[in-house]
Amino acid sequence: MSNLAALKKDMEACSRCSLCKWVPMAQLKSWRFAKMCPSVDRFNFHIYSGGGKMIAANSVLEGRSELNDAVADIVYNCQLCGACQVACQAYRDEIDLADVLLELRAKCVEEAYVVAEHLAMLDSMKKEDNTLGMKKQDRGDWAEGLDIPNVNTQEVQVLFHAGCQFSYDEELRDTARAWVTLLKNAGTDLGIAGKEEACCGGRAFEIGYQGEMKNFAEDMAGRVKASGAKLLLTPCSDCYYTFKYLYPKNGLDLCIPVLHTTEYTDQLIKKGRLQPKKSVPMRVTYHDPCHLGRRGEIYKGGWTGDDKLERPVRFKQTGSLGIFEPPRDIIRSVPGVDFVEMERIREWSWCCGAGGGVYEAFPEFAEWTAADRLQEAKDTGAEALVTACPWCERLFKDTLEQTGDDLKVLDVMDLLTLSLGGK
Amino acid sequence: MKQLSSEVYKELEGVLGPENVSQEPAVLDGYSWQPIFNITSEKWRPRPAAVVLPQTTEEVSEIVKLCNKHKVKFKPHSTGWAAWGSPSEEGELQIDLRRMNRIVELDEKNKFAVVEPYVCCGQLQAEAIKKGLTCHIIGAGPNTSALASATSGWGYGGTGTSTGYSGRNVLGVEWVLPNGDVLKLGSPGSDAGWFSGEGPGPGLRGIMRGFSGAHGSMGVFTKCAVKLFPYYGPKEPKVEGVLLDARAEVPKTEKLFYLMAPSYEKFADVCYKIGNAEVANWVCRGTMAAAIGLLVPRAAKTIYTSPAIRALLKSFQHQGNVLLSSESEREVAYQEKVLRKIVRETGCIVVDTSKLPNYGFFWWVFAVRSIPTALTFREGGDFLTSYGSPVEYDNAILQARDATEYKQKFIDEGVFFDDTSDIGWGGIYEGTANWGHCEMAAMFKRSDGRADDRSRYLEESAKSTEENALGLGLSNLPPGAWKIYGPKLYNYHLWQASLKKAFDPNSVGDEEFYVPSIDEIEEPQEA
Amino acid sequence: MGKKDELATIVGKERVLTDQAILEGFQSDSSLVSGEAPECVVQPRSLEDVQWLVRLANEKGWPLLPCSSSDGPRFGGDTVPKVAGAVIVDLSQMNSILRVDKRNKVAMVEPGVTFGELIREVDKEGLRVEMPMMPKKEKSVLASLLEREPTTAPKYNWDACDPMCCLELILGTGDMFRTGNAAGPGTLEEQWAAGQAQKVAMGPAQTDMGRIMQGAQGTMGIATWATIKLELKPELRKGFFVAADRPEGLMDFTYKLLWRKLPDVCLLLNNVDLAAIYGADPAGLPPWVLVYSISGLEHLPEERLRYLEEDVAEIAEAFQVEPMQYVAGLSADRLVDIITKPSGETYWKLGPTGGCQDLFFLTTLDQTPGFVEVLEAEAEAQGFSRDKLGTYIQPIRHGTGCHLEFNLMVDPRLPEEVEQVGALFESAAQKCMDKGGFFSRPYGSLADRVYEKCPDTVSALKKVKGILDPQGIMNPGKLCFS
Repeated sequence: MSNLAALKKDMEACSRCSLCKWVPMAQLKSWRFAKMCPSVDRFNFHIYSGGGKMIAANSVLEGRSELNDAVADIVYNCQLCGACQVACQAYRDEIDLADVLLELRAKCVEEAYVVAEHLAMLDSMKKEDNTLGMKKQDRGDWAEGLDIPNVNTQEVQVLFHAGCQFSYDEELRDTARAWVTLLKNAGTDLGIAGKEEACCGGRAFEIGYQGEMKNFAEDMAGRVKASGAKLLLTPCSDCYYTFKYLYPKNGLDLCIPVLHTTEYTDQLIKKGRLQPKKSVPMRVTYHDPCHLGRRGEIYKGGWTGDDKLERPVRFKQTGSLGIFEPPRDIIRSVPGVDFVEMERIREWSWCCGAGGGVYEAFPEFAEWTAADRLQEAKDTGAEALVTACPWCERLFKDTLEQTGDDLKVLDVMDLLTLSLGGK
Repeated sequence: MKQLSSEVYKELEGVLGPENVSQEPAVLDGYSWQPIFNITSEKWRPRPAAVVLPQTTEEVSEIVKLCNKHKVKFKPHSTGWAAWGSPSEEGELQIDLRRMNRIVELDEKNKFAVVEPYVCCGQLQAEAIKKGLTCHIIGAGPNTSALASATSGWGYGGTGTSTGYSGRNVLGVEWVLPNGDVLKLGSPGSDAGWFSGEGPGPGLRGIMRGFSGAHGSMGVFTKCAVKLFPYYGPKEPKVEGVLLDARAEVPKTEKLFYLMAPSYEKFADVCYKIGNAEVANWVCRGTMAAAIGLLVPRAAKTIYTSPAIRALLKSFQHQGNVLLSSESEREVAYQEKVLRKIVRETGCIVVDTSKLPNYGFFWWVFAVRSIPTALTFREGGDFLTSYGSPVEYDNAILQARDATEYKQKFIDEGVFFDDTSDIGWGGIYEGTANWGHCEMAAMFKRSDGRADDRSRYLEESAKSTEENALGLGLSNLPPGAWKIYGPKLYNYHLWQASLKKAFDPNSVGDEEFYVPSIDEIEEPQEA
Repeated sequence: MGKKDELATIVGKERVLTDQAILEGFQSDSSLVSGEAPECVVQPRSLEDVQWLVRLANEKGWPLLPCSSSDGPRFGGDTVPKVAGAVIVDLSQMNSILRVDKRNKVAMVEPGVTFGELIREVDKEGLRVEMPMMPKKEKSVLASLLEREPTTAPKYNWDACDPMCCLELILGTGDMFRTGNAAGPGTLEEQWAAGQAQKVAMGPAQTDMGRIMQGAQGTMGIATWATIKLELKPELRKGFFVAADRPEGLMDFTYKLLWRKLPDVCLLLNNVDLAAIYGADPAGLPPWVLVYSISGLEHLPEERLRYLEEDVAEIAEAFQVEPMQYVAGLSADRLVDIITKPSGETYWKLGPTGGCQDLFFLTTLDQTPGFVEVLEAEAEAQGFSRDKLGTYIQPIRHGTGCHLEFNLMVDPRLPEEVEQVGALFESAAQKCMDKGGFFSRPYGSLADRVYEKCPDTVSALKKVKGILDPQGIMNPGKLCFS
């Protein structure tokens, strides 16, 4: 059952200031890159904005309008990137915008307003434990030949969870291979689950099938326990967000610390266990993935109360505790790199366009969003856009194929690889 | 729910394309949700029959002509923040100007910009700063439309002493009149660029707005040239953080002071002198208690319960901010010397905040980008404003006193949150002119059911401004206020109503925040 | 009862003038405009007189034509009746300075008050008048405000209506109105008691009648007083020249000074105007000068002057120009003093040749050199001597715009010269119009051409006129109200 009604006060608190559409005003640097919400920027009617969707939810709850195909279309044409939440919570304490958007998805599913592509994704998750329509038995192929311990047969200190995209994307899996190789060579006792690894389930939650995530979470918890690992590492930002935020928010505890590979690798570099030595003379810029950045902020549970106006501000999910510096520090540690920032970064980053089931269901909108980001990257004069999420990377690469631009898209690991003597 | 006829709907689609027209109820509710300046117990306003998203002046003109043809009332808005942006009745057409969002021109030398409705002040300032310029940003914040406040709203802003008042910063204007004709005010009307808004001959800006604008009741403004002002800060400001965590690097030539006076009168005195001395870029009343309420509202609730702390805060009641700013260190040094001299001579004190940690926060968030206003919602989710007429600053300070005493009664009755009944803000405008304003904000929770009491506050405070000659301000201009004030002020409402009839013969411009056509006003027309 | 008798019942016989010489004096003015002789001149002395006049004129359909000064040269053609039977409403007898508010730096003046009179009065309070450059001695302050004449210190000029604040007026319908915060609530006395001073120009409410009255050339109503914002008299003031062969050489420096808000007076003159103002020979003067002043105010005036000079010196070095206090023997201090006062007995423009036709419009400072070239070329083509082509460039509104004025000197006694100037005026005006000069104050013959360019404005103005003067009695035939 969706908890949409429980969030009615949040919806009613909206003053319609439209700040959810803009880069936080303190950070606005230009006319061109002032917008932060792809949905309203693309479709323009107020209802597409974060605040607008809250109004839609309230309207449905009050019986002023009905949930129907048109409204569902508005709800689903949203990457759930969390930009609106950042902008809103800069000012407001009692509005959990992101929660409303997630519950709105659940409500749509509850009332059978679903998207065919999402259904297909869910089917794939249920049957094959991945979001991509691939075969479960092929999941471990990405690590072939790497001699990485399999946690199904031995215990390890660190469980490396590749995630669906890195597991199956033939172009991107080299990055995952590079991660585990790098970490193994740095002395990390890590293992993988191979074909037994399953989807984190976060995507199911995001597309409105909240209950489905629980199954994947329980499966994940079991695997973690069985592995004996003391640390869960993942190179996938979506999984990271699922483990750090969605699971605990829904009372699911993996009982293990979780780090993104950039966090861990950054620590290795700072401790001297990794030393990028080869110069990579390249101008690069960094794209903050939503799910690693503002949405990757740890879930701030622990407050129980009725009136969010009484909730201490330390419980607000402002996104400020997301992972922003470690990927940047890694980039800065690579000799020869000329690192320039885009305007929309950190908590106020512009979404790549892939999240929330958008790339699957509305590829044109996803690519439109990505194109805007790529333009922003090009405007810095960068030769390469570096990021830390395979979903961002996939969409950026696909979009560049359409546009024919020669901007490179690299994972942070790919940049490290170049500096460690690889290609 | 009132709908448009399918004929009219199809015609709108024909002009704009189906993707830019909607009559979906949930979409429409995105426009009828309007809590601000909606002094009722409801946040919903009447639902429009349809919403349209034009992109060009020609499209706007066609839509308005269609409205005339089919006798459909319309209401346009830019960012649409506040009740005056939405229709007053069901069945109207909402015109959302979001797709008209270009900065058409930014003339660095001549210090003006031509903007479309959906350019927010933050965007305009961000571009202007690169060229050593800034724009006036109203107190409501940089998320507001520069065009809307210049053509249709009010225009108070904290930096008024150096950036004026929106309604007086207007140069050329492009205006789709309520009958669909396009009128260009000033130089653009003669194909002479955008730098001038008056003439040829009489200044038609006089029918566009006065102290306040028509709030969307007299057609649609599609372009506006606004003055820009010198900005002496860094052209590429280094700012970290989102808002409350913001930190900025501040050059030595930007110096922000807190100014504290021992009395209302002395506060006025010191501001007059600072204005006359031509040393400051920002002179604005704003108190410690207000800052606490904005920045830490939960703590404020506790803080205000302490009588000792209240007394302490009240002793800083006559407080404001002064920003000195220049390209030249020599100039700022002189400005500071004069400021300190004036302050000494008037028995006030100043604190040089540039020595304080986190100085950059106040400089950037308050002084430059005028961000904080939306924080007023933190306390209870709603706020209103009152008093605040444009007057000589002595009279503005009288309003501050009147408002402080008056609001306290309503705080005691539980109608507003306790904020020590502090005067919100207001300073001096236009350099040496020393006219200014002081407005009183009040925070509340709408669900408390005290909407009638809040209306009473506005009515009674408006009456007080009338009885004590405190000007025609923010309390005096809610819908229908013209019925009370028009007959007392030379029947301004009848002149406006005649203009309404002349320019909107079919009465299709929603008149709620203006006046109806003269034909609809039943009263003698003698002065 | 004839017109004059009926009028006499309002103002008294002695203040209805029918002397032929007086009437013929209104039939033309020092511009190229000529029209009809009025039927009489009436001199009201109060708001009530004016209101009665306007009401009577409405009743009878009599054309009314307000003017603020009874004598002295007139240039705009706006006080020349276009129709027969006009009644000139000579407001010069309403000549009181009603109030000077030192704290708020504002004065309230009736139409007949001249700049000289006002300056003398406000000087006692340590205040000065921000005014146009050297108005004629008889120039009415109120008339100047209504004409939107540019003032010499762009820093103090915030909006087009400045330095006008509020107006009291009788509209063309005979209704009384007060603009700005003068409208109330409260009587003037109540407002004063509450610290108000009728200084805020906006409103009341959602219109600015004051803006409609400005530039209207008396076609919308009659103002019976105006408030004008004043400035503090500086303790110290220093004038400077920057000389150049062409105006282009002064643009960037001037823009920088304006951006820094350093100068008070800030304007450009060519040698012809400079000579006429100063009383010098144009031949020995630099072709162009920027004239500006810096001031020491109430607090630490010497220090202010010092830092301003040092800052300007740095800027001048960066732009490779040289500010000087003297040029060709002329003192900048003296010039600034001259141009911030009314003209002497002889209006400065009439000094060299006895007559002058002004061609002025608005543009932006950076476009002025282009217009100067147009005039120079046009003058040359028509054999008009450069020695008689004066140019005055006045940045306005903080420098967002610029008043550009060409003073075509002419001896009015020489018909061939008058004809030549007329032809030059017409052709040059057209060329400037085509080039994008904005004729915001269209006097005389220009009005038709100016309004041809903006039919939307004409349509709107006619609607406004139809409301404020439905009978069309106020200065009929002027502007676009034929």
